[in-house]
Amino acid sequence: MYAIECNNLTHYYGKKLVYENLNFKVEEGKILGLLGKNGAGKSTTINIMNGFLHPYAGECLIYGEDSQHLTPATKEKIGFLIEGHVQYAFMNVHQIEKFYSGCYKRWNSEPYWELLSKLQVTPNQKISRMSCGQRSQVALGLILAQDPQLLVLDDFSMGLDPGYRRLFIDYLREYAKANNKTVFVTSHIIQDMERLIDDLLIMDYNRILAQQPVDEFMTKFRQYNIILDNPDIPFPKNGLSVNVEQIRAKVSFYTYAERKEVEGYLNREGIPFKSIEEINMNLEDAFIGLTGKY
Amino acid sequence: MYKAIFYKEWLKIRWALMIFLLLGVFALVNIFLNVRYGVRFMDAHDYWYRIIIQGSNYAASLKYIPLFAGLGLAIAQYFPEVLNQRIKLTFHLPIRENKVLLMQQGFGLAALIVLFLIYLAVFFIGSAIFFPSEVINMILVTIMPWFLGGLAAYSLVGLIMLEPLWLYRVLYAVIAYGFVSRFYIQAVPMAYSNMLWFFSLTAVLTVILVLFSGYRFRKGEMHHG
Repeated sequence: MYAIECNNLTHYYGKKLVYENLNFKVEEGKILGLLGKNGAGKSTTINIMNGFLHPYAGECLIYGEDSQHLTPATKEKIGFLIEGHVQYAFMNVHQIEKFYSGCYKRWNSEPYWELLSKLQVTPNQKISRMSCGQRSQVALGLILAQDPQLLVLDDFSMGLDPGYRRLFIDYLREYAKANNKTVFVTSHIIQDMERLIDDLLIMDYNRILAQQPVDEFMTKFRQYNIILDNPDIPFPKNGLSVNVEQIRAKVSFYTYAERKEVEGYLNREGIPFKSIEEINMNLEDAFIGLTGKY
Repeated sequence: MYKAIFYKEWLKIRWALMIFLLLGVFALVNIFLNVRYGVRFMDAHDYWYRIIIQGSNYAASLKYIPLFAGLGLAIAQYFPEVLNQRIKLTFHLPIRENKVLLMQQGFGLAALIVLFLIYLAVFFIGSAIFFPSEVINMILVTIMPWFLGGLAAYSLVGLIMLEPLWLYRVLYAVIAYGFVSRFYIQAVPMAYSNMLWFFSLTAVLTVILVLFSGYRFRKGEMHHG
């Protein structure tokens, strides 16, 4: 059984199509990052997965149960970090731990207090009076103490400075791998994802652009910088091309093809070039290469 | 689980509860100081005449306090839930969504009823010093709709605040205003004694309306606007 299985998800906001027949699965024990530009449908997907939005068509199964009607037993298996690290901010760190410990059978407060010991907070300090970074640690600590099998983290990096982001990621990855947890995560900051995720799911408007292990994607998806002989000849945007960005004679060519294939392709298309060079990309470069800058 | 949910609700409403307890008791003490003044320092015969024959209600200044208590308690309970859509956290707890809403609503309502019982106890004790049981019963029946109106207002605020769309909120608020104001029509004592069952029934029925807003939230109505 998959931890998450979305079949033929289709959704509209009014008449605007968000996506049609979206399919993806998340294996147990994997850390999957959902990447996409603003408006690509990340929040829609998270909302459907968490039962806060009825899809127009299709279904999303969490441990085999329809996400719109999750039983308490299945909800107990899911730790959910809401965008912006939203928590019951009217409580202080002790009250919130006391509250949640009464809700979950597998509650283990150790990781919560361990994370909180790194923060400069007083025992009676309300969560509403904490910084965004501190709140993120409280929210993460609560999820870890819940000891869920599946962690759904919606834009965990929002509002965090680099130090807290790194702390969050390193702690989360170690925890997830040590305990065979499944993680479904979205983030605006792609750099973070590279350190964290095993698999990626890149969404663009209305469709999935890539779904594969990060290593495989980073090996197979390539950028070539090509200097053309004649900038006036239009560069083809079909065939091997996934994305092309051209500034006069300099072309950034994004493709899954190897260098020899690209060279052969350019020759066949009758595009003379002065040089071709493969560029090393990080995940953020590859994401922008795949989805385009706009 | 019950204990945890009730603990959360208690943390939200305790200050509001305390404030309305003090406010109500203060208002009642003030009422009986006025009664004492009327009986002792004015003409006692005249004072009784005004109450028994002319139908003056010595507890009139209590009128809107149960309403404000109902509104205040509901806001204290639901505002922290709707702020940043924290109700998502509540719906995500390992418990059925309708059940957790009813537990919240039940806890708030129970707290409000306890508060009202304290008001009524103080009212009863104070009244017993000055009036015979016939007068107390007459005034009790007269003020009862005010308390039932407080309960209805409490329930309707839950419905309004959890509703995901502002347009519906405004619509519900207008209807709720019309409905709750029926409980506060100026009337001679006992005028609504035959209608008390109707007030009680409608007040109780409003309790479950919050489930409808909860359903609309989970359906994702706010995303369709």
